[in-house]
Amino acid sequence: MRGAMRRPRDRTWGFGVDSRSTQPDADTLLSLRGLTVARNGRVLMQPVDLDVQRGEMIAVTGPSGCGKSTLLLTIAGLIDRVDGLVSLDGEDPSDSELDWPTFRRRVVLVQQTPALLDATVRANLERAFAYRTANGSTYSHDDAQRLFDRMRLASAYFSENARTLSVGEQQRLCLIRALLVGPAVLLLDEPTSALDAESADAVEAVLKEEAGWRGLSAIVATHDRAQADRLCDRVIELEASSAGNASGGPGA
Amino acid sequence: MIRLAATDVIELSATDLVVATTLVLFAGLASIALRLGLERRLAIGAVRSVVQLLAVGYVLRWVFGLDRGAVVLALCIVMAVVAGHAAVRRPSKTFRGATWRACITLILTGLLTVFVVTCLVISAEPWWRPQYLIPLLGMILGNSLTGISLCLDHLLETLSERRPEIEMELALGATRWEAARDPLAAAVRRGMIPTINSMMVVGIVALPGMMTGQILAGADPLMAVKYQIVVMFMIAAATSLGSIGIALLTYRRLFSHHHQLRSDLILKR
Repeated sequence: MRGAMRRPRDRTWGFGVDSRSTQPDADTLLSLRGLTVARNGRVLMQPVDLDVQRGEMIAVTGPSGCGKSTLLLTIAGLIDRVDGLVSLDGEDPSDSELDWPTFRRRVVLVQQTPALLDATVRANLERAFAYRTANGSTYSHDDAQRLFDRMRLASAYFSENARTLSVGEQQRLCLIRALLVGPAVLLLDEPTSALDAESADAVEAVLKEEAGWRGLSAIVATHDRAQADRLCDRVIELEASSAGNASGGPGA
Repeated sequence: MIRLAATDVIELSATDLVVATTLVLFAGLASIALRLGLERRLAIGAVRSVVQLLAVGYVLRWVFGLDRGAVVLALCIVMAVVAGHAAVRRPSKTFRGATWRACITLILTGLLTVFVVTCLVISAEPWWRPQYLIPLLGMILGNSLTGISLCLDHLLETLSERRPEIEMELALGATRWEAARDPLAAAVRRGMIPTINSMMVVGIVALPGMMTGQILAGADPLMAVKYQIVVMFMIAAATSLGSIGIALLTYRRLFSHHHQLRSDLILKR
């Protein structure tokens, strides 16, 4: 639990295609090898190689439309990858050993647009523990309460319908739900896009604390370079897809 | 075991049918007088119903005369395939492979239900005796295709509209079955509602066509009612089985074994 490893800040511009053969080292939690991402049959970027260490926050930046969201969807396996490997602790969810729901329970994707059931806030949070992959873990109201306080959400909301909350509140609620599940890695798509500066600061603080306290890792897609620098240990810059194609990517 | 007693049937001659044509002429005259512009459609409709019904009459007479199980079975499958095509044409969305899934569903659930009725309830000898099998199957398919249509429409609509919620559940570790269960149940419910509603009001608001037909053909009303009860239950079974069948086959297609929702496969028509 202790000692989130903080690597010295370094910047990766584009992806090191040459690192493809490199085996992930022992500290690596989530490893992407030659991950090829496509949407509607069009390859969006160079194959991605990335090792995420325990407690490490990695920002993925780039112009809108460059495939940040699609990259996260592909890592979570909600979109099929064209090629490459994704492994968590050395196991690939496409193998029978680790199935996709179990993988997703540990690598939780929070999409940019909040998705909530037409039910109370509390029911929305409890729903995440109704699945087989919850594996006996149950909803803790105290934990939820603490996260509400830390993210500046009023606890009066618990009994309200989640869809009546403002978009900014819904966005934080989705993040809280993901944190309650207790993932090893969060895949966050523009996690503060609907938030004012104060709330965004609160969210960033919670993420940093979670990384420090329990070694939570995250891949954060953001268009905000300042946020990427504040929050993350490493920044990965995606090129616009036209540039990617010019440098040899398939697709037109 | 119930047997149909057909006595006192008044034979209809060709002249009688010509007289009946005047009834349609009244509708045509009303259309002309009120400038409804429906004369042409009415005429086509009238001619079509005469041609189609006569054709069916001759086909049925031929099949009844042949008395061959294989021919009856082939006719059943043709009927189910036609119904399957009709069932997938109505929903506003579709996916590749929807048609054969609807056909398979109708063939399996239709034949199963009709077999239970002719073999176990009516005890027809042999069970495929076309006089019983084909009209019963026709009623089953007519109702079941509506159920399948409504179920499919509701399911595809929900999966497109509520995709963010479903993907959210998958992203939180739900299996494809856990994420799909609610939309599937809602769609099956949608498919069964018309049948259940008609069971509620049968005999009070509407006299079912089959029962009316039997009474016209000279059957004892109580006998006709017994048949109608069997038919209502048969339709309820076939509609629910059909809705469940198409929902499950659609689920297998649109939720991949990687536990993804393949909403890209849903097409607008």
